[in-house]
Amino acid sequence: MQLKALSSRKFIIMGLLPAIAVYAIFVFVPVVWSGYYGFFNWSGIGAARFIGFDNYTEIFRDPIFWTALRNNIIFVLASVFGQIPIALIVAILVQKDGKRSWFMRTAVFMPMVLSTVVIGMIWQYIYHPQIGILNFLLEWLGLESWQRVWLSEDYGIYALIPPLIWSFVGLYLIIFIAALQNIPGEIHDAAQLDGATGVRKIVAVTLPMIKGTILVAVVLCISGSLKSFDLVYIMTRGGPAHATELLATYMYNSTFTSYRYGFGSAISTTIVLVSLVLIGISQWLMSIKSKSNQ
Amino acid sequence: MRNFTRTGTAAALSAMMVVLAACGGGSNNGSGGSGDQVTLSVMHNWTGQDAKATAMRGLLDQFQEDHPDIKLEVEGLATDGLKTRLRTVAAANEMPDLFVMWPGVMTQEFVSGDLIQPIGEYLDSKPEWKDNFIENAFDDYTVDGKIYSAPMNLAPTSFVYYNQAIFDEYGVEVPKTWDELLAAIETFNQNDVIPIALGNKANWFVQSTIFSSLGDRVTGTDWFLKAVAQDGASFTDPQFVAALDKLQELSEADAFQDGFNSIDENQMVQLYFQGKAAMFISGGWAMANVVKNAPEDILQQTHITILPSVEGGEGDPMSTSGVVGTGMGISSKLEGAEKEAAMELLYALSGPEGQQATLESSTLVSYDIPLDESKADPLFVELYNLMQDIKITPVYDAKLSSAAVEVTNNGLQELLGGGDPAAIAEKIQNAQVGAAQ
Repeated sequence: MQLKALSSRKFIIMGLLPAIAVYAIFVFVPVVWSGYYGFFNWSGIGAARFIGFDNYTEIFRDPIFWTALRNNIIFVLASVFGQIPIALIVAILVQKDGKRSWFMRTAVFMPMVLSTVVIGMIWQYIYHPQIGILNFLLEWLGLESWQRVWLSEDYGIYALIPPLIWSFVGLYLIIFIAALQNIPGEIHDAAQLDGATGVRKIVAVTLPMIKGTILVAVVLCISGSLKSFDLVYIMTRGGPAHATELLATYMYNSTFTSYRYGFGSAISTTIVLVSLVLIGISQWLMSIKSKSNQ
Repeated sequence: MRNFTRTGTAAALSAMMVVLAACGGGSNNGSGGSGDQVTLSVMHNWTGQDAKATAMRGLLDQFQEDHPDIKLEVEGLATDGLKTRLRTVAAANEMPDLFVMWPGVMTQEFVSGDLIQPIGEYLDSKPEWKDNFIENAFDDYTVDGKIYSAPMNLAPTSFVYYNQAIFDEYGVEVPKTWDELLAAIETFNQNDVIPIALGNKANWFVQSTIFSSLGDRVTGTDWFLKAVAQDGASFTDPQFVAALDKLQELSEADAFQDGFNSIDENQMVQLYFQGKAAMFISGGWAMANVVKNAPEDILQQTHITILPSVEGGEGDPMSTSGVVGTGMGISSKLEGAEKEAAMELLYALSGPEGQQATLESSTLVSYDIPLDESKADPLFVELYNLMQDIKITPVYDAKLSSAAVEVTNNGLQELLGGGDPAAIAEKIQNAQVGAAQ
């Protein structure tokens, strides 16, 4: 019996090994490597010069880094408090109403199958200062005073939030629908017998039942929005004058526009650390919450 | 049947092995083997459907046809992609045998990494070719006295394209001085015409097309080159701050339409094509777009000139910023027969025939050949004749370090949004100093 357990454990390890090896080679090693390059001054060509922690101190003294970090945190908050509640509400509505659910699901999910480039182009034309639909709509409604140059120094980062939310809500919608469908029917029946309906049922029964899924979605959401790059790169390239810079675009511009590979690597490492800290904080907050609930 | 499938699988597997082996092989520089067949890998950016790209691809095809003993492995990438790709292969020390590269900073960096080889001897062996290049044509391909490539075209970066009909309608003369320009801007604004269309989302645009020329008008070329070398001049000097001030005067006078930092070059030209803007400022490259895509009535009214002179400036007003165009770099690994073949291809692309083909595709060249005015588009003839009278001055992004270019590009966006010129000048200065360390 014991022998069998041992061999099956061996088998599990053997089975996991290829995946772990691939992960280590293509994810873990480059991360460490990148951290190592961060100690060098290297233009990508010629010899690299070891400069210790200079790149890292420069990052923390660079105001662009702090702008990028602030923008990234705005993105994380907007995603967590935008995408997840909207997706949850839509999922519950779709769950309730069978007739319109197919249409709703498709409509909300559609941006997920669009390439980010397409999304970026669509929203760029919505925000276009001369021929944009948004400014046109405001004029038509008589709200000329609300017209703006949307993708500008002052409003750019906020103007990027609607396309960001719009493009990812579909993913969480699908996750939540799957979770809602996994709630056993008996529980709904029991809730009904106890007289729980409407909002009360959602808060007291449905949400606690899919709490695990929500937590996973929040983590996905945080890590996803920390990695944001493509939408911003297409719509503003981090400009004007770094106003919409994110950590990832800051890294990309430093590496591939200024050709400072060492500095760029140091930023990448910093992004990893910042991500770990944020994920850690969110996990900690949730564990406190779940403990206080018990 | 079963046996057949097995053979098929084996064949597929062995094909896969070959592919894998080929990937692992990388650049096969070892000229080993029989030696009668030479293979050259070529990387270029002539991927478009415009006349220039088509002409250059034609030259490559022609070369292949004329030289059956040389096998060309050609890869075309869009310009931005090529620049990034070259950096990447340079970092891995796997340069293609021949590739399109840019003069100035890129050439210097490739030389410092010992990635390309000089072509001086070959040039000297064909004096009738070498002597026909325009003055200073090789300067930006020269490092430590050695020439590394020959320019295949000429790329002035700053021209004012204007719509004569709009100027006539409001009785405005084409501005020759800065004050006339500001007056014209005011008139156009009063009449709800965009004075100058601008698309600076890709933030090199203002730097390359407006500021390089404007800066030279104010500071003079000598000062700029000294500041680049950090030799007796600094970007915090009053003349540079004055140049930044001049640029800011434009945005303060509402010379550009709203949101110029959020639209790109194509959208900018569209505003002009729609007749909403009286002018736009762009490089010689915009010519092809105007000639090909402008509505007939706009095209007929479009003319071309240079930025107006700036009173009290140090620079020569009869000048515009520009660089000699791209040239072919030759990998330092090539020797013997491969090197000879590479030189021949270089000559085919940048020799007299190549230059002629380029000029006929409405692209300026750094080579002294006459233009057949009957064949060319009238606007290109205008450009060609304009170029005969003016001098070329440096473009900022071809001289400054990559890091300082990035800071300048962003600084100019900030400046046009109302930033403080002195603070921006200081950032540029710091970046240029930092890169020299």
